[in-house]
Amino acid sequence: MAEAGDVEISGFSSNSTINDDNGCAWTDWSPVIDWGPLSADDDFRGLIESMMCDDNDGVFPAGVTCMADDPYWNSNPSSTTSSTGTPPAEEPSSTNGGGGENDDKGLRLVHLLMAAAEALAGPHMSRELARVILVRLKELVSPAGGAAGWGGGTNMERLAAYFTDALQGLLDGSSAGACSRQSASHRDDQTGDVLAAFQMLQDMSPYAKFGHFTANQAILEAVAGDRRVHIVDYDIAEGVQWASLMQALVSQKDGPPPPHLRITAVTRGGGGTRAVQETGRRLSAFAASLGQPFSFGQCRLDADERFRPAGVKVVKGEAVVVNCVLQPPHAATATSRGAESVASFLSGAATLGARVVAVVEEEGVEEEGDFVGRFMGELHRYSAVWDSLEAGFPLQGRARGLVERVILGPMIAGAVRRAYRAAGEGGWGEWMARMGFGRVGISCFNHCQARLLLGLFNDGYRVEDDGPNKLVLGWKSRRLTSASIWSPPPPAATGVSNGMDDSDFSLD
Amino acid sequence: MPPSTAPIAVPPATTTTTIPQSLPQPEFSKKRKLPKSPITPNKVAAHGNRRRTGPDASKEGDGKFEEDGEIPQKPGSGRKGQGKGNGGNSGNGSKEVRWAEHLLNPCATAIEAANLSRVQHLLYVLDELASPSGDANHRLAAYGLRTLTHHLSSTRIAAAANVPGRAGGLADDSPCFVSTEPNLFRSALIKFHDVSPWFALPNSLANASILQALTLDSNQRSRPLHVVDIGVSHGVQWPTLLEALTRRPGGAPALVRLTVAGAAAPPGPFSAAPPGYDFSSHLLRYAKSIDLNLRIDRADSLAPRSLSLASGEILVVCAQFRMGHGGPDDRTAFLQSVRELNPDLVVLSEVDGGRAGEGDGSFSAEFGRRAELLWRFLDSTSAAFKGRDCAERQVVEGEAARVLEGRVAAEGREWWRERMAGLGFRDEGFGEEAAEAGRALLRKYDGNWEMRPAEAAVGFWWKGQPVSFCSLWKPHTGSQ
Repeated sequence: MAEAGDVEISGFSSNSTINDDNGCAWTDWSPVIDWGPLSADDDFRGLIESMMCDDNDGVFPAGVTCMADDPYWNSNPSSTTSSTGTPPAEEPSSTNGGGGENDDKGLRLVHLLMAAAEALAGPHMSRELARVILVRLKELVSPAGGAAGWGGGTNMERLAAYFTDALQGLLDGSSAGACSRQSASHRDDQTGDVLAAFQMLQDMSPYAKFGHFTANQAILEAVAGDRRVHIVDYDIAEGVQWASLMQALVSQKDGPPPPHLRITAVTRGGGGTRAVQETGRRLSAFAASLGQPFSFGQCRLDADERFRPAGVKVVKGEAVVVNCVLQPPHAATATSRGAESVASFLSGAATLGARVVAVVEEEGVEEEGDFVGRFMGELHRYSAVWDSLEAGFPLQGRARGLVERVILGPMIAGAVRRAYRAAGEGGWGEWMARMGFGRVGISCFNHCQARLLLGLFNDGYRVEDDGPNKLVLGWKSRRLTSASIWSPPPPAATGVSNGMDDSDFSLD
Repeated sequence: MPPSTAPIAVPPATTTTTIPQSLPQPEFSKKRKLPKSPITPNKVAAHGNRRRTGPDASKEGDGKFEEDGEIPQKPGSGRKGQGKGNGGNSGNGSKEVRWAEHLLNPCATAIEAANLSRVQHLLYVLDELASPSGDANHRLAAYGLRTLTHHLSSTRIAAAANVPGRAGGLADDSPCFVSTEPNLFRSALIKFHDVSPWFALPNSLANASILQALTLDSNQRSRPLHVVDIGVSHGVQWPTLLEALTRRPGGAPALVRLTVAGAAAPPGPFSAAPPGYDFSSHLLRYAKSIDLNLRIDRADSLAPRSLSLASGEILVVCAQFRMGHGGPDDRTAFLQSVRELNPDLVVLSEVDGGRAGEGDGSFSAEFGRRAELLWRFLDSTSAAFKGRDCAERQVVEGEAARVLEGRVAAEGREWWRERMAGLGFRDEGFGEEAAEAGRALLRKYDGNWEMRPAEAAVGFWWKGQPVSFCSLWKPHTGSQ
């Protein structure tokens, strides 16, 4: 594993060099550096076949190839190989405690975090107490001084550092405006960092890929045979999902030539628009390199962040797909948009006549009740994320540090903010069902793809069904993220959705 | 399977007992090198109030810390409301600063309710924040944690509860009067007397009132003075009285008797002295040096015989901060025995619990009251020492923390007034000289202190809250 660690680090540094020139990031993820020999590897095929369902009719034979050709995989073949080839049971436990002292320290951190949350919202609310606890937490989690830095401290200490920062944000009353400002500047100045970190997250965990692949597979199935495909994407972020979809579209070699793909990115204006334009440019360049017919557009949210379907230009005969990923790195911006904004977007799917709606979201914290309960739920959930990354890549603290800082830290801040403001912003599924969305079954192939994906990572990952139209990725017993596929309600129901009031959004 | 991050998965109750780590516990003595000059009070306050926050303090809003009120003031400004930091003292503002009780009181409640996981949680948090050398809140957390831990061990959930190992850095043998080396004990008494009016002010009023009693008795100036000392000053109170006696017009009484009868009252905070400490020889030497005829006795009870009362002497019973211990019946019986001495004057100073009759007498209610008393002591003492830590401060605070042990009834002033009246005492007002002496002394101390008249008595207030009172009583003679 030490060798793999070296490879991983060097892979990262080469990427960050590349990202100094954002324009060509995609081409470096192209299949040129394919793990070609591996895709023909007997073991790998065997693995695929063993996971295939019996009733797989092979309608989308390109699907698996699509995975093998996916640029994400190719960006770091050695690491992926070592993941599959190494029994995950041999993870060293050095960083993870292995002693009562660390266990005890972790316990103290958890108690302090819980108490700080209580002090901010509980019946014994005291901002002064919260302040004092956070001071103590900072002493405990950052022995070197820099909170939430690069791999400083143990796993638990770093996790606690991010939650401490998140609570400090609540105490300081940093508004949503401040946060979105931060993420906007994030996008402007650190796109390279975000890309590099996101790619590392891809390599380390199925976390992001799971949602993208499941959504993409459902989209592929829904638009099979269409000549024009139009995807309306709520939060495109760096557009990584669509690079993977293009790969799949062009790799259906036996079929007709790839359909024309149009992507409309929903933006909120401001600094984000420029970042989205940049994403569009990268995607166009990538599509050109693949020979994928492609066009790109934007649709702005209203000033109140509501989505106006009229803002999307739909060409007759094209298959419209609505895609809504509320997950990293999207989540850094998407979570700062309110539930109302998301609801308006999903409701718009009917107006647009969407063929299918794909929703990828964090699996909601199940803890009901007060802020403390929700906060502890988030702490548990992110500890599972931490745990899964640690288990998969125990030696790559530096890479994990980047992922934590750039992607997970902002997500934690957003999650804690949401937990503080809103009562149980649970999953969207319940709301969609209530609004008349239909459940589109997850295909067997899609199932298998997800299992295959997980097979490339640590044993601790689980995929499970939650109803016919939803797949959930979990780490051990804890749910991490889910993808669900829907059909929009019939037009008659759209009147209902237009008239909805705020209570429709509260899913608590 | 790789190991999971166990600390998250394990519920708090199933903790491990690990050796307490030597955590980098912030020692504020370092950061407390505050400028001594009282000329820039606000700057001093700004530093002093932030000491525990360290480098993060700059991020915090400054406004709320001003309410901490540790604002040394220029001599001569001894009135409430001086300085811009004092505005919120009397209201909720100061409560905002008090965070330790937000942990201690829920923990006491949880212990009472045998809510093990809640107890465990709060003990963990208290353990992290407690420090006998931090600011007043950290100290209160440390002393409160010790008391709660002791109390917990007597409950049925004791076996299941796992007390965190660090124990707030407070050992069981933390300083208190009895265990203190006599020289340090003496220096702690003098130092505390010097920087805090907590005892010094009632002592001063008592002395002034004794002098006043003698003056009113001027037609019999040769009568000996006999003071029965049931107090906590351990001799510190008396040199000023002796000195003042020699300076009064007409000279000192032919004989001044001091009978130390502390042993007659139940023990309580500040009552004990370490073995080997004896102020008598010091005092006698001093009396000799000022040519005063002083006799010191000790008495185990207030029985007239053990006090060797002599006829013709002016008898003053000076009972300060010693009557509030023991049960209500004990206290009444003790006051009764004072009454039976038929003294010429009784000086009664006590902690003003202020909330007599409130609460349901449950452990948590009582603990909450006592924690609040201790908070006022620690907060005012922190101001008295200007935030600096020293051995003397530790000794005095460690002794004061015994109030949490539940010996102090902490009745309100009204309770005492009723008892005294019921026993045939009438209250006596302070003379102008005594009041002036008190006001003069008050100017020496932190500007958050004030004296407020309370009927005939005088109340001492810290940050707008009553702390103690001093009252004068004489046997009711009207019916005789």
